[in-house]
Amino acid sequence: MVPVNQPSAAQPVISLQDVGIRFRRNRRGRRNFKDLFGPRKRRSRPGEFWALQHVTFSVQPGEAIGVVGRNGQGKSTLLKLVTGVVLPDEGTVHVTEGVAPLIEITGGFVDDLSVRDNVYLTAGLHGMTRKQVTARFDEIIEFAEIGDFIDTPYKHLSSGMKVRIAFAVISRLEEPILLVDEVLAVGDKAFREKCYRRIEELLAGGRTLFIVSHNERDLRRFCTRGLYLDKGDLVLDGSITDVLERYNADYGVKPA
Amino acid sequence: MRPEQRTPIARYRHSLWLLTKRDLRVRYSTSLLGYFWSILDPLVMAGIYWFVFTQVLDRGMDHKPYIVFLLVALLPWMWFNGAISDCTRAFLREAKLIRSTRIPRTIWVNRLVLSKGIEFLASIPVLVLFAIIFGAQPGIDAVFFPLAIVIQAILTVGVGLLVAPLVVFFRDLERAVKLILRFLFYASPIIYGTTELPSELHFWAAFNPLSGIFSLYRSAFFPEQLDWFAVAVSAAVSLVFLGLGLLVFRRTERAVLKEI
Repeated sequence: MVPVNQPSAAQPVISLQDVGIRFRRNRRGRRNFKDLFGPRKRRSRPGEFWALQHVTFSVQPGEAIGVVGRNGQGKSTLLKLVTGVVLPDEGTVHVTEGVAPLIEITGGFVDDLSVRDNVYLTAGLHGMTRKQVTARFDEIIEFAEIGDFIDTPYKHLSSGMKVRIAFAVISRLEEPILLVDEVLAVGDKAFREKCYRRIEELLAGGRTLFIVSHNERDLRRFCTRGLYLDKGDLVLDGSITDVLERYNADYGVKPA
Repeated sequence: MRPEQRTPIARYRHSLWLLTKRDLRVRYSTSLLGYFWSILDPLVMAGIYWFVFTQVLDRGMDHKPYIVFLLVALLPWMWFNGAISDCTRAFLREAKLIRSTRIPRTIWVNRLVLSKGIEFLASIPVLVLFAIIFGAQPGIDAVFFPLAIVIQAILTVGVGLLVAPLVVFFRDLERAVKLILRFLFYASPIIYGTTELPSELHFWAAFNPLSGIFSLYRSAFFPEQLDWFAVAVSAAVSLVFLGLGLLVFRRTERAVLKEI
């Protein structure tokens, strides 16, 4: 892996080469074991579709990129591909630096364990050592504003608190790449503003940001570059203003 | 300060250990008797078989003390059985976590094998206790205990890697695995020794990889149970399972990630 301080301006941190991924149309229609032995017809695979195809782009360190598109056009899938939690069916995804994914952030938290244990566990699974977590522990708790609940089982937290602590942990990972998938839609206004400031802080610190959002204000606030996805294709890769203009033109939304 | 840069292997070990610890902590923090439960299950089973085979049927007298004979195979069986039945849910139970973190996916199987393996190691004092109470003398063959653990770990990981992804596609497999495990319990030398099988079955019984493994464990107290042919076959079969498991796992990984 490349050390942080090494100048790597010419080296893209994320590069996707002709990436495609397909899913089954009826994702929940599982095949059963007995289908293996059943008549041939029952074994035939249900239709598949390409969620993304022929997607090629690369990202330089420090860029802030907003992904735009209607629901179901592959935005979240793109983020998952970059995170590495799904693998492409064709093409290659190359990510040279560590990733802090704000995707399903509460996923790693265990209901029965206390907040403290959960913080150590989640941060640890994202690669932090015990010592590093201890060093940031107070900061994390303070950011999440749940100082009184450190030893409460996670399941007893309110849903807002759950998201807060999860955001606090992941955003303290300080990986060079930050992926954000609409998590900012939750939480109260004050906390949301705090999250925004945190993201700006990280951006100022030279992080690479990759954000999926339907909120134009957010996109304009953080991003310089935009990717417009439609029907599984990367339609436009340009400045965020151009991308939003095109998106609004295509789908007849009045500019905010 | 960003997450420490470490070699992939160190990271793998770190994550594996964290998840294993989490497993054990969750299990023990939510139940009052904690550790006792993981011991109680095999003890109750051993008690039942001991009663049936020595008190009711008046059999199993060749192996004295029979309770030690039982436990020395029953405890590793609990490891195998527990790990494989947990593996049927390896991906389904952790779907949320798998969707949000990029950890090498074999961890989801390995941590189950590891946490059940730790429980097995933790149950060994019980075996020792029973051996002392019933006056079973450990022989020199006890040195093969670690070898048995290694072979069993290889076998369990191999079968786990095979079962875990397939269950995602074929939910019925979960029940099929339970059924096969129950069959395997009686098809393996746990309540009996390999020598008690009809002689024409001896050769074939060796191809159950658990035969050789249990014969190794057992030789600690019952040297006549050691059957090197069975051990060699089980080591080979275990390696084949590991290879097959890795192959199937790699082939299906992409589809599993989409499915969960």
